[in-house]
Amino acid sequence: MVEKKSTPPTSDDVLNPKTAAEKLTKNKAKDEQDELSEEDQQLVSELEMIVERLKESSVDIHRVALENLNNVIRSTTGSMTSVPKPLKYLKAHYETLIELYDQWMDESNKRALASILSLLGMAYDREGKRDCLKYRLLAGIDDESISEWGHEYVRHLAMEVGEEYAIKVEEYSDNTEYLIETALKVVSFCMKHNAEADAVDLLEELDRHELIADYVTEETFERVCLYMISCAPLLAPPSDLGFLETARKIYHKFGKPSQSLPLSIRLGRQELIKEDWDSCSSRLEKAQLAYIMARQQIHMPELIEDYEDEELIACMNNTNLSKNYLNLARDLELLDPKSPEDIYKSHLENTTVEVTLDSARHNLASTFVNAFVNAGYGTDKLMTTSTEGKDWIFKNKDKGMLSAAASLGMIMLWDVDMGLTQIDKYMYSEDDTVKAGAILAIGMLTSSVYDEADAAKALLTEYIADENSQAIIKLAAISGMGIAYAGTNREDIIETLLPIISDTDVTIDLSSIAALSAGLVCIGSGNSDVSSVILQAMMERLDSELNHKYARFMALGLGLLYLGTQDKYDAILETLKAITHPIGKQSSILMQVCAYAGTGNVLEIQKLLHICAEHLGEKEDQLPQAFAVLGVGLISMGESIGSEMSLRTFDHLMQYGEPYVRRTVPLAMAIVCASNPLVGVLDTLNKFSHDNDKAVATSAIFSMGIVGAGTNNARLAQLLRQLATYYHKDPDMLFTVRIAQGLLHMGKGTMTVNPYHHDRTLLSHTALAGLLIPIVAMINAEKLIMTDSHFLLYYLVRAMYPRFLITLDENLESVSANVRVGQAVDVVGQVGRPKTITGFQSHDTPVLLAHSERAEIGTEKYIPLTTVLEGFVILTKNPEYEEEDESK
Amino acid sequence: MVKVQVKWQGKKFDVDVDTTQPAEVFKTQLYSLTSVAPERQRILVKGGQLKDDTPMGSLGLKENAVLMMMGTVGELPKPPPEQTKFVEDMTDNEVAQALAIPAGLTNLGNTCYMNATLQCLKAVPELKQALDDFQPPAVSTSASASASTDNKRSLVLSLRSLFTQLNESGEGVPPMVFLHVLRQLFPKFAEQDRQSGGFRQQDAEECWNELLTTLDLALQPSDASPSVVERYMSGQMQTTWSTAEAPEEPSTVHHERFRKLDCHIDKSVNYLSQGIAKGLEQKIEKRSDTLGRNAEYTAVSKIARLPEYLTVAYNRFFWKASESVEAKIVKSVKFPLDLDVSEFCTPELQQKMRPVKQHVRNLEDRKAAERKAAAKRPRIDGSSDGSSDGAQASASVSSEKQEDAAPFVLDPELKADVGCNPSGMYELVGLVTHIGRTANSGHYIGWVRKEKGVGGKEPEGKGVPETRHWWYKFDDDDVSMVTDEEILRLCGGGDWHTAYVTLYRAKKLE
Repeated sequence: MVEKKSTPPTSDDVLNPKTAAEKLTKNKAKDEQDELSEEDQQLVSELEMIVERLKESSVDIHRVALENLNNVIRSTTGSMTSVPKPLKYLKAHYETLIELYDQWMDESNKRALASILSLLGMAYDREGKRDCLKYRLLAGIDDESISEWGHEYVRHLAMEVGEEYAIKVEEYSDNTEYLIETALKVVSFCMKHNAEADAVDLLEELDRHELIADYVTEETFERVCLYMISCAPLLAPPSDLGFLETARKIYHKFGKPSQSLPLSIRLGRQELIKEDWDSCSSRLEKAQLAYIMARQQIHMPELIEDYEDEELIACMNNTNLSKNYLNLARDLELLDPKSPEDIYKSHLENTTVEVTLDSARHNLASTFVNAFVNAGYGTDKLMTTSTEGKDWIFKNKDKGMLSAAASLGMIMLWDVDMGLTQIDKYMYSEDDTVKAGAILAIGMLTSSVYDEADAAKALLTEYIADENSQAIIKLAAISGMGIAYAGTNREDIIETLLPIISDTDVTIDLSSIAALSAGLVCIGSGNSDVSSVILQAMMERLDSELNHKYARFMALGLGLLYLGTQDKYDAILETLKAITHPIGKQSSILMQVCAYAGTGNVLEIQKLLHICAEHLGEKEDQLPQAFAVLGVGLISMGESIGSEMSLRTFDHLMQYGEPYVRRTVPLAMAIVCASNPLVGVLDTLNKFSHDNDKAVATSAIFSMGIVGAGTNNARLAQLLRQLATYYHKDPDMLFTVRIAQGLLHMGKGTMTVNPYHHDRTLLSHTALAGLLIPIVAMINAEKLIMTDSHFLLYYLVRAMYPRFLITLDENLESVSANVRVGQAVDVVGQVGRPKTITGFQSHDTPVLLAHSERAEIGTEKYIPLTTVLEGFVILTKNPEYEEEDESK
Repeated sequence: MVKVQVKWQGKKFDVDVDTTQPAEVFKTQLYSLTSVAPERQRILVKGGQLKDDTPMGSLGLKENAVLMMMGTVGELPKPPPEQTKFVEDMTDNEVAQALAIPAGLTNLGNTCYMNATLQCLKAVPELKQALDDFQPPAVSTSASASASTDNKRSLVLSLRSLFTQLNESGEGVPPMVFLHVLRQLFPKFAEQDRQSGGFRQQDAEECWNELLTTLDLALQPSDASPSVVERYMSGQMQTTWSTAEAPEEPSTVHHERFRKLDCHIDKSVNYLSQGIAKGLEQKIEKRSDTLGRNAEYTAVSKIARLPEYLTVAYNRFFWKASESVEAKIVKSVKFPLDLDVSEFCTPELQQKMRPVKQHVRNLEDRKAAERKAAAKRPRIDGSSDGSSDGAQASASVSSEKQEDAAPFVLDPELKADVGCNPSGMYELVGLVTHIGRTANSGHYIGWVRKEKGVGGKEPEGKGVPETRHWWYKFDDDDVSMVTDEEILRLCGGGDWHTAYVTLYRAKKLE
């Protein structure tokens, strides 16, 4: 009945506020003049005539008249900027037509009229009437009729569907089926016409986003998923997870395990991971998944059916991380070890005197710088290669020896075989501090990689269990366990740790570190056994014990347990209220902060800002406020707009906050911008680094290190050198500057400590914890990092990961391929196939990717098995490419 | 029998395990393979360590199972016999002594002019030696030489004890006694500011001159022999007076002692030598006997004897009547680290010095060549034939030079003159600088070169090559170290520290 030339997307299609305004003024002008051109006059009289005819009683005349009307409306070709004339002149008759509709009896005529009324309902939209939808429903909905009035009409209809649904929900009415039905027609139309976002939005309004899966096609699913994934952080729970789930389902449906896996990981559901794994069509694809899982520290060896497939197991265990990292270093000519002096470049500093004596402070800084800079390279100039190397440990004082011995674990990072040998000789040391360092080193060495022999457990449990071992050795063993088994959720490890937490005869420092380790091991699991033991400990311990500087790590352990779990901590929160010691409040804030880490939840941020704004009395515990500041950073870090806003908020806190708030602000900024040296942030931190309050300056300098960690940023290097000159007479500050310099050149500029990876979509919980622990320790640097607890800096090892892109061939050997590396561009909701990177350069892999950079394959020769080129990427040969080659 | 692999130090060893035996036997097997003593072996099996008495059969080892072993061959690292002593554990005094940074002098209220001067004078070891050797004459017999001689003597004694104190102490020394004596001897240094009541800043050069004059007199062992100041720090100037208005008049020649060269500063002077040249030539109107009237005479001074230590003073201050202050000329005058003054000497002296000068130059060339060769040597080892040819060539050049340098005869007259500079070549060893706009305000700082191998270790890391030196910067009791670059920046031309008195020392002959 309706010609299918269907209104070209002209006139009414593009109504925007501007044209609407224009329309209004024009109308006014017309009203005043009331003079119409001859043509218009003719149209008006024609319409009048049609309406007159409709008023008559003959059904047949009605039909003809309706067809006429239809034609008139359709055949207008008005300008883009104004309302189509027939619609304008029909306004006078709108009410008449509605009345007529009610009077008529003939169904087919009624439907035809309803269809026109639905269009007019859109044009003369009246608040709360939703005529468009009402008459559409009366006119009947089917695939064709829904689109008969063009895109703008469909969009309007979608809007009214949403409105009506919201009202129905308010009225607790279950009768929404008809709306869903309409919506699905709309969705189907949208999906066919490149309006995926509209379709998703409509279904979201109806809380039925899962239905989208039925409408996606090979062409549209990528864009739909992309849109849904990037919407997720902006939605209120539970829709956010629902969106991810739907997106995952779509990827799964179209056989894209490498894309659905990251979503399964984000959802944190093992059965989905298994489903993805099983859906892989080839062994190589499984290997690719194994690499992605290894990066996120998900170890599920049970997935591999073939126990003999050593290669696949190696991928899962991350065994080759060290080898590939060294290959990268070889390609970039970074193998030569660097000494701390190479980093300080003190000949460029403008200081006059340098101490040629052994300063314990200076040597300790060198120990850390050496460890960070040569991390993972297996050689350095102080601990391993130098002939004096054996003496270096003894050039450190007291706990410095612990940190020096432990630095071996950082230098030998990921290389379990060689590392154990290097560390072994210090395990027999008569000096307990050195021995403790070696023990901690073993914990660090085996982090992020899984070795079959389970070296850390084999070597460390005996020291924890042994009644006679020294407190410092126990401490090292406990924290080593935490570092080594973070995120593994292993029962056997927890069993060794729990007795230490619960036993009130154990000193509070051991107990706290044990709680921290337990939190690390069960990170984000909400393990109720662990949480109840920690709570028990908090209640049983004396207040004087809970005042210990390490007690905060007990609270942090509890927080880590609930990392990213959002609102599952209510019961714990109630229990914490019963604890009168300030640690109860510390814990509850840390827990809220951790639970929402990376979610960008605005309401939570507002709550925290209220806490930050309070002015506490001198006697009150300041730590909760400090944690709240960190929380603002932690929660907003997940999403770019939120983190930008948080940086602005920090400026206010810096100006008006209490001293404790001020000293924490730089640290919170570090969390938001870890390994992402934005110029503005660097400038701000540089300003704070000269603050009168030494604590503020210290944390600002440390934050500069974190913000630039592993980037070799030249500008930051210059700033830090200036600070070294500025503070050359203050050993504490100089120490911090040195540490920051070490962080900046971490892994000789090949590492990142940013917990987000996989195109900044996946949050590594263990990495976040690794970043958070030293930062929490920095809040009271004067009590912890600056005195005897500098080993806490080594927790950073969990956050450190190479920021490389290594391509592997079908035999999982590294192969060089051409890639383009450039700034990532947000292509969500853009039409066509937009470029995902800008300002790119061509490189041959392996390459380093900076924060917010993205790579895409630059050759037709290979097809990558994953869309996100980061870390390890397996390439398969493009069969078409070879054909082309032959034809030449 | 089960075959297992044991990983150790990144290597894999195949071992046949007898499952009926305890682990001890297995460890012995490993000992023979790796030579790691069994008690040092730690064998890791699935999250546990292998104990000696565990029967190997109980492990349920599979064929080709991988075990990991830890263990070190040979000596374990031991703590060094001597514990490292850390700066943090030392007192300030100990630190300074360990670093061998000389002690500074405390500012007792606008006494930096004196502190800077003293630190520079302390750089003359001969002077210090003379102070140490000084025997106060027994009670002076004549009554006339009473008060002032006593004062001079106590100045010498107090200076001696101050220098000793400086050498022994690690922290700033307050020069109380010396200052007191100095002010007694020269009341002008005790001038007080009427408004604030404190002592006023003084001119460092004045202090320098007065001190040397006093020491010259006081340190004279007997009337016959010259004092150390005269010997080592004073030269002989030959001044010729002539006038163009009476060319036939014979020019008169005067000889006089000088303890410093003046560097005159005007618009045209950019370098020290220009300034010295200006200072050596002056025009004066005086009565001519032949003409019977006043005529303009030109006095041209030539140096007839060069002392071992040459003081060059910069005439930076002039009396500005309008403001009644001694205003400063801030113009930049570049001074060299190595100064050749032979051009200002009498022709006779130049003649005598020529071979010595050549010798010093050769000495320097040779050192440079040696350095070059030393720098080249490591490169030659791995490089091609071409470059080694070049090295040989350069080596032969240097050997030729050595032959040239070998014979040289020191003029007997110069040789006999102890404390003179036979070569006319000097190197900079000390400076007094001034910052501020007038002589009686601002701040004085002393800078003294650190001799290689003397005092503490050279600071590391700055990569100062052999040709360059470190300097001590004596900012009252704050002593730090700087490099040559920093010293050369003291040439003036802005409101930075500006060289006011420079002390040059004769270059060594070997």
